[in-house]
Amino acid sequence: MDARILLVEDDPSIREVTGIGLRNAGFEVTTAADGLEGLDRFRAEPFDLLLLDVMLPRLDGLEVCRQVRRTSTVPIVMLTARGDTLDVVVGLEAGADDYVKKPFEVPELVARVRAALRRAGRLADDGDRLHLGPLSIDVGGRTVERDGEDIPLTRTEFDLLAELTRHAGQVLTRDVLLDRIWGYDYLGDSRLVDVAIQRLRAKVEPDAANPSLVLTVRGAGYKAAR
Amino acid sequence: MPLLGGIRGRLTATIVALIVVTALVLGVGAYAFVDASLHGGLVRDAEAQARFDLTVLIPARLPTPTREAFDNSGLVRAFEGRSVRLIADFGDLVEPFRSIRSQELQAAVANGRLGYQWTAFGDQAVLIIGGRQPGTDAGFYFLHDATSLEQALTQLRIGLGGGALLLALVGLVAARWVARGVLAPVEAAARAAERIERGDLSARVPVASRDEFGTWADRFNRMAAALQETIGRLEASQAQNRRFVADVSHELRTPLTALVAEASILREHLGALPPDARRTGELLVADVARLRTLVEELMELSRFDSAAEQAAHEPIDLVRLVRAVAAARLPDAALVLPGEEPVVVVTDPRRIERILGNLLDNAREHAPNAPVEIGLQVHPDAVVLSVADAGPGVPEDRLERIFDRFYKADPSRQGGSSGLGLAIAAENAALIGGALSARNRSAGGLRFDLRLPVTEPLPGGDPAATSEPDRGARSTAQEPIR
Repeated sequence: MDARILLVEDDPSIREVTGIGLRNAGFEVTTAADGLEGLDRFRAEPFDLLLLDVMLPRLDGLEVCRQVRRTSTVPIVMLTARGDTLDVVVGLEAGADDYVKKPFEVPELVARVRAALRRAGRLADDGDRLHLGPLSIDVGGRTVERDGEDIPLTRTEFDLLAELTRHAGQVLTRDVLLDRIWGYDYLGDSRLVDVAIQRLRAKVEPDAANPSLVLTVRGAGYKAAR
Repeated sequence: MPLLGGIRGRLTATIVALIVVTALVLGVGAYAFVDASLHGGLVRDAEAQARFDLTVLIPARLPTPTREAFDNSGLVRAFEGRSVRLIADFGDLVEPFRSIRSQELQAAVANGRLGYQWTAFGDQAVLIIGGRQPGTDAGFYFLHDATSLEQALTQLRIGLGGGALLLALVGLVAARWVARGVLAPVEAAARAAERIERGDLSARVPVASRDEFGTWADRFNRMAAALQETIGRLEASQAQNRRFVADVSHELRTPLTALVAEASILREHLGALPPDARRTGELLVADVARLRTLVEELMELSRFDSAAEQAAHEPIDLVRLVRAVAAARLPDAALVLPGEEPVVVVTDPRRIERILGNLLDNAREHAPNAPVEIGLQVHPDAVVLSVADAGPGVPEDRLERIFDRFYKADPSRQGGSSGLGLAIAAENAALIGGALSARNRSAGGLRFDLRLPVTEPLPGGDPAATSEPDRGARSTAQEPIR
C-alpha cells in the first residue's frame, strides 16, 4: 500500500509516534504542526487521506476541515480530544468522515485509516439506479436527484442512503451500518450513525422532523421506506 | 390560620374581648343613667303638675266631687288639651283601667299620697300619676303618654348596641393588625429559616426594632452569615479541587495520548527485545493502560461534576442490551432474564452499558473465578437490573461507602482497578434517573441493583406474564447456574 497521508498534529511526540506507526503500516506520511501549515501542505501536493487534530494552533482542525472540503472530497479523519456528541456532530458537520478519540492505540488508528481509504477507493460496484420515494440514486455516478434536482451528499451520507435503499423495508442495526459504511467492527459508538442519519435526513427528507424515507425502528436501528 | 389557633389568634381574641367588655360596661351604664334620668324627670314633672291640679285646678272646677258633676265639668277635655288623659275614681272605676292599676298605686291613692306607675295602656306606653283630691274620697289618675320617651330609649338601645358591634368589628381588625405587627418579626424569622433550609444561605431576618426581637434577629443573622461564609469557603475549595482535577486530567491527556500510541507500537515489538528489556516493556505497556483508565475515569467524573454529561434517551430492548454487554464483557455470567420477550424501556443505552460493564469489572476483580449472575426483573413501576457475585461481599458498615471515589473495600489489594468504577456507575445511574444500590447476599457475595423507573407502560403489557416469580425469588439464595 502506498497511500499518501497528511498528518496535522501539534504535539511533537504524538506526531512522531503516529508517523512511525503509519509508516510501519506502509503509508507515506507527511506531517504538519499547525492548521495553517497543514493547509499549505495539503494545497502543495496531493494526498489520499487527511488526519486532523481538532485542537490546533493558528487554525483549528475544524476550520482546516471546512476549507479543505470546499475543493476536495479527500477522506478526512479527525483526532478529537473528547468523545462528546457535540464534538462528533461538529466534526461531521465540518465535513469529516470519521473521528478517532484520543488517546488511541496505533493499530486502531491504522484500521480506521485503512477503512476510510477503502471506502474512498471503492468503485461503483453497481451501475444501477436505485429509487427511494421521490429520490433517484445513481450508484455509479454517486449522485442523488429529487425531481431532476441534484442533492449534494457527502461520501458517507451517500453510502448510507444507498445501503439503506438496497435493503428497503429491512431493518439495519447501527452495528451493521457501522460495519458496512464505516468499514470496521466498532463496538460501541452508535452516535456516529445517528448523527450521519440526521444529516442525511436534513438533506433528503421533505420534512426532516417527520421522516418518510429514512425511518427509525425503535430500539433496533434504521430502515428505508419500501 | 384558624381564628383562635396560634399566638396571633389568641392575642386577637383577647384584645377583642377586652374591647367588647369595655363597650358593654360603658354602654349599659350610659343607658341605665339616661333611662333613669328620663323616667325620673318625667315622674317629677308629672307629680308636681298633679299636686297642683289636685289642690288647685280640680277643686276649683269641681266643688262637689260626684260622677255627674265631673262629667259636666269639662275637665276631661281641658286635660286632653295638655295631652293628659284624666280618669276620675268615685268608687265606680270601670274596666279596663281598673285592672291595669297596680296595688301600690291604689294603696297610695287610698292613703291620700301621690303614686305613680309605668305601664302599657292599649298600645301606648303610659305614666300614670294617681292622687286623692284633698278633703274628699275622689281619686284622680293622670295618664301621660310616654311613647316618645320609650321610642327615644329604644333608639338609644339600638344605637348603643350597633355602636358596640361596630366597635367589636373595628377592634377585631385592629387587633389582627396589632397582632400581625407584634408577630411580624417571628414570621419573618420563620421565612428566613425556611429559605436557609432550602439552601438559600443569603436569607436574613430584617432587624426592624431595638427590642428583644431585634436582638434575637441580629443573633440569627450573624449565625446565618457565619454559616454562609463557612459553606461558601467549603464550596469554593471543593470547586477549586474539582477544577484542579479537571485541569490535571486535561493536561495529562496529551502526554497520555503519546504514551498510549507509543506503548501500542512497543507492544508489537516486544518479542524482538532481550528478556530483561522485554519484561520491562510488558510492565510499561500494562502500566500505560492502567494510567489511561485512571485519567479517562477522572475526566469522566469531572464532566459529571461540572454537569457536562447529558443523557440521550431512546427506546431500548434491555434483554438484547444485557445479552450483548454480557457477551462482550463477561461471557461466563449466568443470565436470569424474564424471558425471550423484549423488555423495552426509554433510557440511554450507552449509560446502561457503562454501568453494567463497571459492575461486571467489579465482580470480576473482587470475586475472581466465582460465578456471576446478571438478572433483569420487571416490576409495574420499575425495571431492576442486577449483578450478583459469589465473592467475599463487603462488611455491612462499609456498604454505603463503596460508591465513594477511590474507595477500596480491601486496601491491601493492589488490583488493576482505579477505585472509580463504582462511583462512575453511580453517577451514570443518577444521570438516567435510576438508582444504584448494593447489598450482601444471604448466600454470600455482593449484589448490585440498578433500579430504572418506568414512566410509560412497557410494551408486552402484563409484567406478571413475562416474569418468572419462582426463579426471581430464589435468585438471591441459589447459586447461579453456569
